[in-house]
Amino acid sequence: MASIVSTYSLGTAMLSSMAQAQNQLTQLTAESSSGQYADLGLQLGDQSGYELSLRNQTNLLQSLTTANSLTVSSLKTSQSAIDAMRTGAQTALTALTAVTAGATGAASSLQSAGTNALQSLISSANVTSNGQYVFSGDNTAVAPMANYFSSTTSAAKSAIDAAFVSAFGYAPTSASASNITASQMQTFLSGPFANLFSGASWTTDWSSASSTDVTTQIAPGETATTSTNLNQPGFQQLAEGYAMLAEFGGSSLSSDTQQTVITAATSLITQGVSSLTATEATLGSAQTQVTQATTSMSNQLTILQTQIGNLDNVNTSAVAVQLNSLSTQLETAYQLTAQLQKMSLAQYLPV
Amino acid sequence: MSLSSALGIINSAFVTNAAQSAVISSNISNAGTTGYAREIANLSTITSGGVEVTSIGREANAALLEQVNSSTSQAAYQKALSNGLTTLANTVSDSSSATSTSGATANGNSPSAMLANLQSALETYDASPTSTSAAQGVVTAAGDLAQSLNTGAAAVQNVRDTADSDMASAVNTVNSLLTQFTSVNNTIVAGEATGADVSSAEDTRDSILTQLSQQIGISTSTNPNGSTSIYTDSGVTLFQGTPRTVSFTATAALPDGAVGNEVTVEGVPITGSSTFAVQSGALAGLANLRDVVAPKYGAQLDQIAGGLISAFAESDQTGANPPAATLPGLFTFPGATSVPAVTATKGLASEIEVNANVDPSQGGNVNLLRDGGIANPSVATYTYNKTGAASYTGRIAELISATTSTQTFSATAGLGTSDSLSDYANSSVSWLQSQNQAASNQLDYQNSVLSQSTTALSNATGVNLDTEMTNMLTIENSYTTTAKLLTTVNTMFSSLLNAV
Repeated sequence: MASIVSTYSLGTAMLSSMAQAQNQLTQLTAESSSGQYADLGLQLGDQSGYELSLRNQTNLLQSLTTANSLTVSSLKTSQSAIDAMRTGAQTALTALTAVTAGATGAASSLQSAGTNALQSLISSANVTSNGQYVFSGDNTAVAPMANYFSSTTSAAKSAIDAAFVSAFGYAPTSASASNITASQMQTFLSGPFANLFSGASWTTDWSSASSTDVTTQIAPGETATTSTNLNQPGFQQLAEGYAMLAEFGGSSLSSDTQQTVITAATSLITQGVSSLTATEATLGSAQTQVTQATTSMSNQLTILQTQIGNLDNVNTSAVAVQLNSLSTQLETAYQLTAQLQKMSLAQYLPV
Repeated sequence: MSLSSALGIINSAFVTNAAQSAVISSNISNAGTTGYAREIANLSTITSGGVEVTSIGREANAALLEQVNSSTSQAAYQKALSNGLTTLANTVSDSSSATSTSGATANGNSPSAMLANLQSALETYDASPTSTSAAQGVVTAAGDLAQSLNTGAAAVQNVRDTADSDMASAVNTVNSLLTQFTSVNNTIVAGEATGADVSSAEDTRDSILTQLSQQIGISTSTNPNGSTSIYTDSGVTLFQGTPRTVSFTATAALPDGAVGNEVTVEGVPITGSSTFAVQSGALAGLANLRDVVAPKYGAQLDQIAGGLISAFAESDQTGANPPAATLPGLFTFPGATSVPAVTATKGLASEIEVNANVDPSQGGNVNLLRDGGIANPSVATYTYNKTGAASYTGRIAELISATTSTQTFSATAGLGTSDSLSDYANSSVSWLQSQNQAASNQLDYQNSVLSQSTTALSNATGVNLDTEMTNMLTIENSYTTTAKLLTTVNTMFSSLLNAV
C-alpha cells in the first residue's frame, strides 16, 4: 500500500519549490545582466584571495603603465634637448671651420659663435618635462645650469676672469693679450681654465644638478635609471669649448694663439658631441626598457583579465537556457497548484 | 437477545458515529497545522454486541520527530554562523556600489584591495616624486586602507556583540520553553494516569520540543508514566520531572579577542571548550561565532594592521651607534611609542590610522612620504632624503617593496607565519569567504534535510483531507444504515404493539 501524503505537505511541497525557483530566477536575472556570478564572494569561497590578487595585480600594472607614459615623455624631452645641443655644437663647429686665424673679423665671429652656442646650450639644458628639470638628476626642482650671461656677473664668468688675470696679470679684453704666446695659452687652457669645468668648480659655478639620477620602478620589481644629469662630461666639454670662444675668441690675440684657441675649442666640442651621443644612447636604451616593460605588462594585463573572467564570469548562454527552463518550471508549478486545489474529494461529493 | 438490546446497540453506534465525526472534524480543521498529529478513534466491541470508542489514538512518530528536531538544530546552528559570516563578508564586498564596466568585485573593499590601491598610488608617486597630488593620492589610499581595517574590526566587534545578546535571548527562550514544557508534561502525566485524551497536549509538547531544538540541540527519552526527559545533545539534563535553569550573563561590550561568558545549566557549562558543549542549535552556532570564528578574523585584521605599521616604520638613518628606535611611519596608532611586535597586535585594526605628520588635512607635510621623517619631523634622525632632492625615489621604492617582502606573522591568526603583507591580506579574504561559503552551503544542505524530514513527518503523522473525506463517507453510510435499522426496529415494535 502506498503511504499517504498529508494535505499539508502536498501544499507546502509546491510552495517551497516555487520559492526556490523564484529565488533562483532573481539570481539568474542578475547574472544574465551583469555576466558575473550574482554573489561572487559566495561563489569563489577560498579562491577569493586568488581572484583578489589577480585584480590587485591588474590595478598595479595599470598604474605602472600610466606612470611609464610619464617617464617616456620625460625621456623623450631629454633626448630632443640633447639633439638640440648636438645641432648647436655642429653649428659652432661649422663656424669654427670657416674662421681663418688672424683674418679680419675672425675674433668677432669666434666670440659670437661661442656666445650663441653657450646660450643655446644653457636653454636646452634647462628644459622641463611635466614641470621637472630633466637634466637635474634627482634634484628636479632646481634648474640645472646657471645662466652664464645673467645681468649680475655669474659665478662662472667671475671664476674664468679671475683665472685669466691670475695667469696673465690682465683681463682677456686687455690689449696686452696680444703678447700671449701660443704655448702660454695652451698651458692656461689645459690647466687653470680646464679645472673650472670639472669637479667642485663645475658643481659650484655651473651646475646645480645632482649626480644621482632618477630611478623609477617601471614594472613590478624592475627599476630603470630614467634621467641623466648635467654633471656628465659631454655637457662640461661643450660648456668649456663654448666659454673659451666666448671669452677669449674676441681678445686681441696673435694669430698663432688664436689658432691654439680654435684648435682647443674644436677638439673640446667634438669630444662633447661624442660624449653626448653616448649619454643619449643611455637614455634611448632606458626608453626601450620602459617601452618593453609597458608592452610586456600589457600582455600580462590581457592574461590577467582572462583569468579574472574565468573566475567571475558566468556562461551567459547557459544562464539564458537556465532562465528559460526555470520560467517553464515556475509556470508548471503554478498550473499544478491550481490543478491540485481542484483535486479534492470535497469537489466531487454531493452537497 | 431482544429488540431492546438491539436498540441499545443502535444507540452505541450513534454515540460512536458522533465521536468519530468529532475526530474527523478535528483532523480536518487541523489539516494545515504544523506538527499536528492525526487522531484516530480506536473502536472496540462491547459485551452487549455494540461498539464504543475506547480511546483516541494519535498517529505520532517519535523517530521522525527526533529527525526533524535534529535537523532543526543543525540548520539553526548553520544559520547563526552564516548570518555572522555574511555580515563580515559584506564589509569586504563592494558589489552593491560597483558601477565600473569591469563589473562588481566581491572583495573590492577588503584590506587587501585597499593595500593594492596603496601600492598603485606609491607606484604613481614613484614616477612623479615631485607631485604633491601623487603624494596626496598615497596618503588618501593609506587612509582608505586604515578605514577598511577599522570597519572590519568594528564589524567583528559588532558580530560578536550581536551574537552575545542573541545568546542571552536564546537562553531566555530556552527557559521559557522549559517552563511551558513543565505544565504540558504534567498534563500528559496526569492524563495518562486517568486515561483522559491528551492528544492535544502531546501536540503541544512536540511543538515545544521543535522550538527548543531551534535554540539548542536536544535528545529526549520517554518514561513509562508518559513524562518526557530532555537532554542537550551533549548529555546535560535540561528537564527531568522539573526544568533545570539555564543561565547566561550577556557582556555589554566584549573585550577585543576575549572569550565571552559561558552558558551554564545548573553550573555545568554547555558552550565554549567544555566537554559538555552543545554541538547544534542557535546557541552553539552563536557561541562558535562569538568565540572562535569572528575573533579569528579579528586577529587576522590585527595582524595586517601590525604588519602595515612595521612595514612602513622608519629606522634611524644617521648611522648612529646605537641607532635610535625604529618608529611607526605612515601608519601608526594613538599613543604609539614603538613598533608593536607580531604577538602584540591585539586591537590594532580598530586603532590604526594615518600618521598626522604626513596628512595635510591634519596639518602634516605630505613630502615626508618621499623624504622620510614621518616618525618625528622635528629631528633629522629619520630623514632618508639627505640631499633634499625633489626626485628622490629611494624611500618610495623601499615602501613599495615593504608591502611585497616577506614578514613574520603570528600563528594564532591561523594563516601561516611567513608571508608578504599583500599575500597575507589575500589569504585573510580567502579564509573569510571560504568560511562564508562553507556555512552557506551547510545551511542550504541542512535546510533541505529539514524540509525533507518535515515532509516525511507530515506524511507519516499529518492529515490527508481525502482520507478524512472517505472516512466521513463511511461514517455517513454507517449512520444512514443505523437510522434505517432504528426505523426497522421501531416498525417491529409497532407491529408487535398493534398485534397486542
